[in-house]
Amino acid sequence: MGYLKYLAFRIVNAIIVLLIVTFIISALFVKVAEESNKSKMYEELMLWERSEGAKIKQSQGLEAFEQAKAAKQASLEEKYELNVPYWQKVYNKAVRTLKLDFGTTSMPIFGTNNVSDIIKVAVPRSILLFTTATIIVIILGIFLGVRAARHAGSVFDRALSIFALVTYSLPMWWTGMMFLLIFAYKLGWFPLSSMFDPQLTGWAHIKDVIWRLVLPVFTYVFVVFGGWAWTTRNIMIGTLQEDFIMAARAKGIPEHKIIYGHALRAAAPPIVTMIIFALLGSLGGAIISELVFNYPGMGRLYWVALQQNETNLLIGLTYFFTVLYLASVVLADMIYGFLDPRVKVGASARM
Amino acid sequence: MRWVDIKEGFKEFLDEFKKEKTGIAGVILLIILVLVALTAPYTTIPNLPEKWRNSQYWEDNPKNVPPTWYNMFTSKKLVPQEIYYKDELKITQLNKNTTIIEVDYVLPENYYFGPQGIIVKNINVTLNSPYEVPTISVYLERPDGKTVPLLINKQLSSSLTVAVGRDSTISSNIYIWLVNVTEGREITMFEVPLETILISDMVAPLFAKVEPGMNVDDIIENPQPLPGTYKLILKIDNPAPDENKVIYDDIKVTFLGRTYGTMGTDYLGRDIWAGLIWGSRVSLTIGILVAVLSTIIGLIYGVTSAYLGGNADEFMMRINEIFASIPSLPILILIGATAGHITLWFIVVLLVIFGWMGIARIARSMALQIKEQTYIEAAKALGAGNGRIIFKHILPQLLPYAFSVIALSVPGAVIAEASLSFLGIGDPTAVTWGQILNAAQAQAATTKGYWWWVIPPGLGIAVVGLTFVLIGTALDKILNPRLRRL
Repeated sequence: MGYLKYLAFRIVNAIIVLLIVTFIISALFVKVAEESNKSKMYEELMLWERSEGAKIKQSQGLEAFEQAKAAKQASLEEKYELNVPYWQKVYNKAVRTLKLDFGTTSMPIFGTNNVSDIIKVAVPRSILLFTTATIIVIILGIFLGVRAARHAGSVFDRALSIFALVTYSLPMWWTGMMFLLIFAYKLGWFPLSSMFDPQLTGWAHIKDVIWRLVLPVFTYVFVVFGGWAWTTRNIMIGTLQEDFIMAARAKGIPEHKIIYGHALRAAAPPIVTMIIFALLGSLGGAIISELVFNYPGMGRLYWVALQQNETNLLIGLTYFFTVLYLASVVLADMIYGFLDPRVKVGASARM
Repeated sequence: MRWVDIKEGFKEFLDEFKKEKTGIAGVILLIILVLVALTAPYTTIPNLPEKWRNSQYWEDNPKNVPPTWYNMFTSKKLVPQEIYYKDELKITQLNKNTTIIEVDYVLPENYYFGPQGIIVKNINVTLNSPYEVPTISVYLERPDGKTVPLLINKQLSSSLTVAVGRDSTISSNIYIWLVNVTEGREITMFEVPLETILISDMVAPLFAKVEPGMNVDDIIENPQPLPGTYKLILKIDNPAPDENKVIYDDIKVTFLGRTYGTMGTDYLGRDIWAGLIWGSRVSLTIGILVAVLSTIIGLIYGVTSAYLGGNADEFMMRINEIFASIPSLPILILIGATAGHITLWFIVVLLVIFGWMGIARIARSMALQIKEQTYIEAAKALGAGNGRIIFKHILPQLLPYAFSVIALSVPGAVIAEASLSFLGIGDPTAVTWGQILNAAQAQAATTKGYWWWVIPPGLGIAVVGLTFVLIGTALDKILNPRLRRL
């Protein structure tokens, strides 16, 4: 089976999953919106009853009031889309979402009501923070992991393993709170909030942004790089025991060339997969970490949307996260198949 | 498999496990954690979860103060909590109508601040003649001979709590006294600047140097401690002692500390140490339960999928992908926020629903290899059913792997529960580390420097996580020799 066919299969597969997930998400959020819309409608109806309804009752009698009330309720139901059957609404919402038409929010966020525009403002910010941090993590993790694998069992290797195990058990947001406590409150080196100063422009703005980014980036790197180094180390140790490394050593190839030229290349597929997931995952931000640092990215946006019950924004963001995940699955499969020819045989042999 | 084999295998496993130092460390930590969780009601306050949200229960505790041992690391020593009951008080019946209660309180040298407040409560009053209500006056006699009138002729009832430091009338009286001593003039209640007495600490000046000529604002902002013996005097006048009875048996006088207990207090005066100990119960239960359940479900799902093969496998893997591609934390938050009443069980179910996919994938790939072996073919030829082959022949082969997976997925579950609680979506009837951190975040504890409120719950999460990571990696090394790396 050819590589292209394998790829086509993976993409079609991802699209089918995306369709189903979009449908599930719509079903979930439409349900939530329906309830809040219902209560909004009754609120408005009550208001009408007390003002205009009372007037009609006084001047035209009870019967006219009942009639007017029914008409008002019908018009309100139409306004809040309560007269459409549930599944119809779910279908409509899912189709609109798939067409990237997310609609608007009831309150402006970042100075606009359009969901797509809001997401467009937040994504670069999350990229700025988490992608920067992820790149640092990848470089640091791979470098330290390879080093630990070369000197397996040394003090450095042991220290790195313990560090990795400890940081694996830490919630990132708590570490963020700790660093805020130490570096922002106690030592005063960094600001307590990472919300940008909107007054600044040009060079001052860039300086402000960098200054506010340092602590969140440092937190992310601190919590994550140990795990990366540890995984890289484990993969590398496995590779270093293989025969072709022995052969290379026997041929007298310099050690660093063996490590970076032979071993790391052979260990590349799983590491590349990890890199793709990490990089694409970084676009989504991290909800709680952004809350702790008060950073205006995707994660905090999601929280704001939840708090203000902005269903359209929630659907938009969830859809964005899902597309990102599926894209990374396809991309990872693609590169994995490219780097390791055994994979596509294994995965698609039974097709 | 015979019983003897199992016993042999288990013994062999134990011998190997004993060689793993990290594993042993993990087991010791686990035993300590379980003991702490089990003995929580006896080592701290019984039924804490019921009391945790009741702010009245914590009234007698100082608010936002560090632990007592913090004094060892700071030059500015802070007083601990001191409570006096009836036996430690000097109660004198002056005459038929007047009773004087005296409390001696010592502010030692080197201590930077006096108490955070003084609370007098639980004086029982039986009223039979409502027109001759007993009254109470409270004075503080200072080591420099000055006496501060804190409260004058307040009507006494059983529900009365004298709260120096929290009652604005008393704070006003302190301000009036300060002005009187420093400037020598009498001011009325209406001349007291309201913002000053509401915002600033009006108890510290009581235990500070106050001399004529000093500036009142200086004393409030930067009080110089005055060590020595203070005497709190409660004067109770009962105009009709025969009708209205005043009983002092339950009286409780608390000098609120500037430090408290093993871990300090939060904004409601709650004992953080007790919360921490109780929090371990939820963390351990949820962590283990979620890890065990999602591993079991994932294993069965993966093995079934691999065994059935063909279209069934494709279908099951698509469902797996759907679950994996739904962003789980946001959806968890959403479900939690809309579900209304959330119990710990509900959280467990949610975390399991969004936690089995990865294990299912790995189990499937492992089962695909096992499936090809000849004894499975043999079992099939002998007419064994699908269920029997899956549960009897394939799953047991994956069990060693399962144990390390369970251990290694506990930290994730613990962090997930803490994250949900941190966002305010947790069981309101439970005390959890995430909820303590949630309160800390809501009260901006990090930006105020309340480290004792932020560090310990997170350390608790980290310790539970580390315990299971240590056990998990040790198990992984022993039970999955193929994956053994040095």
